[in-house]
Amino acid sequence: MTRTRPLDFGVLFGPSGHHLAGWRRGNTGAELDPGEAVRLARQFEAAGLTAVFVADVVSVWGEHLDSLSRTTRASYFEPFTLLSALAAATERIGLIATATTSYNEAFTIARKLASLDHISGGRAGWNVVTSVVPLEAANFGRDGHYGHTERYARAEEFVDAVRGLWNTVADDAFPRDKESGIYLDRRGRRPLDHRGAHVSTAGPLNISRPPQGNPVIFQAGASETGRAFAARHGEVIFAAPRDLAEALAYRAGLDDALAAAGRAPADVRVWPLLAPVIGSTEAEAERLRDELNGLLHDDVLRRVVQDNVGDVDFTGFDLDAPLPELPASNRSRSRAASILSLAREEGLTLRELAVRWAGGGVVGTPERVADHIERWAQAGVADGFNLAFPSLPDGADAFVDGVLPELERRGLWRPHYGGTLRETLGLERPGLTVADLVRTNP
Amino acid sequence: MTARRPRRLHLNAIYSAAGGALGGWRHPDAPARAGVDVGFVLRQVRRLEDAAFDAVFIADLLAVPDSNPEVIEKVATVNDSLEPLTLLAAISAVTSRIGLIGTASTTYSQPYTLARAFASLDHLSRGRAGWNVVTSLIDAEARNYGAGSHLAHGDRYRRAEEFLGVAYGLWDSFDDDAFVWDAASGRAFREDGIHRLDHAGEFFRVAGPLNIARPPQGRPVIAQAGASEAGRALAGRHGELIFSGASRLDDALEYANELRDRAGRAGRSADDILLFPGVSVVVAPTRAEAEDRFARITALLHPRVALGDLEYWLGNVDLTGYDYDGPLPEFSRTNQSHSQQQRIYDTARRENLTIRQFVQRQLRAENTVVGTPAEVADHLQEWFEAGAADGFNVSFPALPGTLEAFVDLVVPELRRRGLFREAYHGTTLREHLGLPRPPSAHATR
Repeated sequence: MTRTRPLDFGVLFGPSGHHLAGWRRGNTGAELDPGEAVRLARQFEAAGLTAVFVADVVSVWGEHLDSLSRTTRASYFEPFTLLSALAAATERIGLIATATTSYNEAFTIARKLASLDHISGGRAGWNVVTSVVPLEAANFGRDGHYGHTERYARAEEFVDAVRGLWNTVADDAFPRDKESGIYLDRRGRRPLDHRGAHVSTAGPLNISRPPQGNPVIFQAGASETGRAFAARHGEVIFAAPRDLAEALAYRAGLDDALAAAGRAPADVRVWPLLAPVIGSTEAEAERLRDELNGLLHDDVLRRVVQDNVGDVDFTGFDLDAPLPELPASNRSRSRAASILSLAREEGLTLRELAVRWAGGGVVGTPERVADHIERWAQAGVADGFNLAFPSLPDGADAFVDGVLPELERRGLWRPHYGGTLRETLGLERPGLTVADLVRTNP
Repeated sequence: MTARRPRRLHLNAIYSAAGGALGGWRHPDAPARAGVDVGFVLRQVRRLEDAAFDAVFIADLLAVPDSNPEVIEKVATVNDSLEPLTLLAAISAVTSRIGLIGTASTTYSQPYTLARAFASLDHLSRGRAGWNVVTSLIDAEARNYGAGSHLAHGDRYRRAEEFLGVAYGLWDSFDDDAFVWDAASGRAFREDGIHRLDHAGEFFRVAGPLNIARPPQGRPVIAQAGASEAGRALAGRHGELIFSGASRLDDALEYANELRDRAGRAGRSADDILLFPGVSVVVAPTRAEAEDRFARITALLHPRVALGDLEYWLGNVDLTGYDYDGPLPEFSRTNQSHSQQQRIYDTARRENLTIRQFVQRQLRAENTVVGTPAEVADHLQEWFEAGAADGFNVSFPALPGTLEAFVDLVVPELRRRGLFREAYHGTTLREHLGLPRPPSAHATR
């Protein structure tokens, strides 16, 4: 399979690294340091990476203090404020904000993304998530999460409403004619009047149409419902397959779901997660991996699995015994299923499983990481990757200085910023003119 | 009791992208896309920071008002403005001292979401965030948030009260010294330094803890503009920076004293509440030039827009069928801002104004000061020394000219008189304002 486009790279953004113990070996205490956040974003931009991506949970990210107090998951910037600050300090890199459809209002999210898109000159993306961490519900007046079906029904309506709000204003709705005093061409704006079971909002939006028309929609649905949702709405799909076979199966399933939604495979980009642990030799990379994993406290190891599976308590559980049978839960189903099958197939102990979950991925030299990227790209399962650097600043330096030049040599990647994130990604801009509105709504 | 009056006055800029005047966007010097032109905003705010303004303040509305389309098509700000928190976060990255005050509604937000966003802004700006607490105004806002009509006046103030209590609690989720970031032991924060909230009230149930360290200022500065009885009560209990629309010195003084008194009765110190009346300034080296500039700005206001503004503040009424030279008709009070409606009727009755006269009056709002640097400074100094103002909420009718003129002409004059700082002394908004940093509710006393 020949590639017509260079690969894209998003960076899962956190100033002290993605590995659960990464903060202990660099950028310690940098999670709320605006200067370091800006420095990293500028470094990624100078290197030509496509976007920074801010994950999010609307609660502290872990239920147990023994573990939480040993991670960076209790205190981090809110995505829209962080990305707006980064927008002012950068010029070309994409800015992807995670926002949940479960505990937000559509008007607020449509407006914040439109505002971020204007502030950044067309670089905003929205990672649409539904909330599944139990602590989140309790911060928003609920005893528990919306069930799987209701959660996605709400998400479906929410995304429709947000898109609908962006489309209440035509690109040329504001003639801003100083002479006549006419700011708005009334034909260029319409109400939305969305009234649904989960979301109601009248519109119109109180800001110009975003530079990208619609900010780019990112999605990570992996369950069957989630994949159908991603196929209907996602423009860039995050995935976390654990090997190439799973990635191939995922891509095939996604293509079917896209077809069912009336879309073509070329309409979306798929970015698998990649957490590279890079050393100048294989041995050095392995030493780095072992060092990172060795910095994980036993309590952190226990809870990282528990928090991902849900509805089970590993307190006091022997880390070196095999994983027990686990009940089904209302959590993100695909993730729990993946954990369970992984543990069962390979007969993993809790410790072995936890370590895999803690943030390490492909371990090796820049060439070896590039091999992995090339293999997946050639197999047609990756249009890009979502990078999770285990620790910073070394993880980013190793990738930017080691892997990117190697990928460029192999013709897989080159800097390719367009004027907007959509242009960088090669995605079509949804246009809407006053004439369109007059035609459809005389 | 020692004198509570601060030695220096404070300046807060109301930044409205298209200019403070409704016709400001039509000014020849105004950039056409000012509402969404972040580069233009950043240049203006840097000017304000160079002049050592305490803060820049962004007002907000969560909807396009459903006023007469003939009015709406002729105005800029309500159609086309950046959202305050994203805009202020962007400003935070390219400034280092000026305070950043954003408007956010307690009626159409969740406390966890807002407490978090303001804490995040406070960290990003290293302690410069302020929150102008509003309860929202109009039904169009309600309809964007799934409600048919606006929450009743009393309900929304009870909600605001509870909302603030939750926000304070969430900001105290972590002790100031909870984070130890001990790489050697792997301990990020002390387990006894984090606190759940477990709030359950009339409007909200919020478990907490907040997912961000205590803000650098402890709490962002709380700004409030309470004018109705319920609003004043809220401002007296919570407001640290109080915006007021009083246009006459005696009214402003009465309001200031009442709010200080309310703060005292709420167990707060008179030093913990600062009064910021609004003032719109058009200044030039000579009075004639200032009047000329002002005339050119008012000429930009379309007559239909002037009437529409009056209709809006009366609660979105329709005045088109009435005789412009007859008296202002009295409409039944709507659920919108009670105090504004009352003020308009009071003025119209007191001075026996026709609709036309009232609209002309609007063109030169009584809190507009047009004059030389000395005249403008005289006005500010008089209010400041009378105790009616600790600072001013300055609006600039047309950008960038009136802002530049204020910074270039009025600020130096205030400095000559020893009324305004030469440069920033602190780094946080609380330090600029001389407001104490609130201790955490969990701090050992």
